[in-house]
Amino acid sequence: MAWITKQSGTIQIDRRDEPYLTAEIRKDFESRMFPRYPDKQACTIPLLHAIQDLHNWLPYQAIEEAADFLGLPASTVLDTATFYEEFFLEPRGKYTIWVCQSVSCEIMGNTKLVEKLSEKLGIGPHETTEDGRFTLMNVECIGACGGAPCALVNHKLHENLTADNVEQILDGLD
Amino acid sequence: MPLESPILLKNIPTPPWGEFADRKTLSYDDYVKADGYKSLDQAIGMEPKDIVEIVKAAELRGRGGAGFPAGMKWSFLPPQDGGQRFLAINCDESEPATFKDQVLTEFDPHLIIEGIAICMKACQLDTAYYYIRGEYHHHRVIFENAIAEAYANGVFGENSRMGKVNERWPNLYLQRGAGAYICGEETALLESLEGKRGWPRIKPPFPAVAGAFGRPTIINNVETLSMVVPVLANGADWFKSMGVGRPEGAPPNVPASFGPKLFGISGPVQRPGVYEDNLGVTLKTLVEDHCKGMIPGKQFKAAFHGGISMGVLDTTEYEAEMDFDIGKKYNNLGLGTACATIIPHDVSMVAMARNCARFYSHESCGQCTPCREGGNWLYKMLTRIEAGDGTMKDLDLLLEIASSMGSMPGTTICGLADGANWAV
Repeated sequence: MAWITKQSGTIQIDRRDEPYLTAEIRKDFESRMFPRYPDKQACTIPLLHAIQDLHNWLPYQAIEEAADFLGLPASTVLDTATFYEEFFLEPRGKYTIWVCQSVSCEIMGNTKLVEKLSEKLGIGPHETTEDGRFTLMNVECIGACGGAPCALVNHKLHENLTADNVEQILDGLD
Repeated sequence: MPLESPILLKNIPTPPWGEFADRKTLSYDDYVKADGYKSLDQAIGMEPKDIVEIVKAAELRGRGGAGFPAGMKWSFLPPQDGGQRFLAINCDESEPATFKDQVLTEFDPHLIIEGIAICMKACQLDTAYYYIRGEYHHHRVIFENAIAEAYANGVFGENSRMGKVNERWPNLYLQRGAGAYICGEETALLESLEGKRGWPRIKPPFPAVAGAFGRPTIINNVETLSMVVPVLANGADWFKSMGVGRPEGAPPNVPASFGPKLFGISGPVQRPGVYEDNLGVTLKTLVEDHCKGMIPGKQFKAAFHGGISMGVLDTTEYEAEMDFDIGKKYNNLGLGTACATIIPHDVSMVAMARNCARFYSHESCGQCTPCREGGNWLYKMLTRIEAGDGTMKDLDLLLEIASSMGSMPGTTICGLADGANWAV
């Protein structure tokens, strides 16, 4: 629920010396991305994607660095980041499994899928396994209704899933 | 009358003309070989206002859900004033049951790009952003690649074959969403493009006057822009020879249902997928012919006929004509995206209503109280009723909340609340 906000004023930030916003990302944005838009704020979402693609999540320090780079208050960038379901402000698993739960997938049997995944991984939706390998997400329509029930494992789409073939997909991951 | 040959899916094998298994992505060269980019060449030799006139004459209505006439939208733009003007292409496609634009994006990206370029020329828009939903990962890679090909072949960028548009070299950029249904609402999409929360704006001002970055902006759906390409090549009369046209006796200023349309059918049917047919095809034809009928043992009970926000067709409305008048005729909210989820006899309608309520409560942006609070209460009560713990009082309360949420009292900024309450 995008509108649920958390108290961020008292957050303790774990800092590290090495920046999350790397020199390569800065260079890429300065040369390629900034000229695309009339202002720098428009680069917020592309920049958060770039940082998250590299680190797999968005630590608060990274949000501050991004804000600094874009010339915005950190609260403005955090405000945007917390709205979108794809941005993780807490560490997540190496693999994020996005199981669709909307109408076509529910009709075609997604509940069995979630049960199977929860049982196999020992976690519920929106939780991460202790070994840090898997995060399970129950999400709304991912736009592949013709292949319902479906799920994304990181960026890869899997369609026509059953309790059996979903197990094979997980077993096939390194 | 069924569609004689595929129009938008000309290059994308689809039954009855081809097989899903033969679908593959067309590169720039493949597309040119299939007579691609000829409409753009034609547009380059035309006066911008003449292109708008053809689209207007064709009465091409938006294919994204609202059905607003595209030519009319284009003519709302103010005169050029030296500043930038934008095009935002809506490929957010987050309406449950909807998966049509991803087919065009994945297999025929240059058709979309050609439509984009024509629109930029016609409306004198210098910069276009292709807003694609975050979950379309492999589609995004394909489209990025197609954009690079278009630049390499002089469609966009410096020395574009279009010349300068609005006194600038035309550019097309891909914008990746990040998982928010509401960003498919046009003004929320603009907020997201500007790097903010996807909060719909109060209108007016309308985007054509003050849209992205406070500048004139046109927002069109992927399918609408793609349809501009064949319309320009074949003319308005050709386009209007397809579909069901205007209802009998309606005056000429009433928007009508011309042309073909993409229909995405999912649920327990033998061959789910995205098909193309004339507007006015019946749901029954789509299910029985295109999709080869229901899976054995399943019977048709009802359907979300245009994404879940538009309402349902019940068992007696199986033969409903899928066109822009479906809302008036069958008392629902309209054609929407024309992508249908079929509900079989053994699935409870309460469960479906609960699923929809959960969706809207989850995807509410939180700006307006009726939607933010109401959605969640509807979900809680429907969950309780589904579990068998409902009381008669719950029914009254459900109706009370739903009727105060939307559907035309206009208690909220955008239409999400209207979509949410019909289920009840």
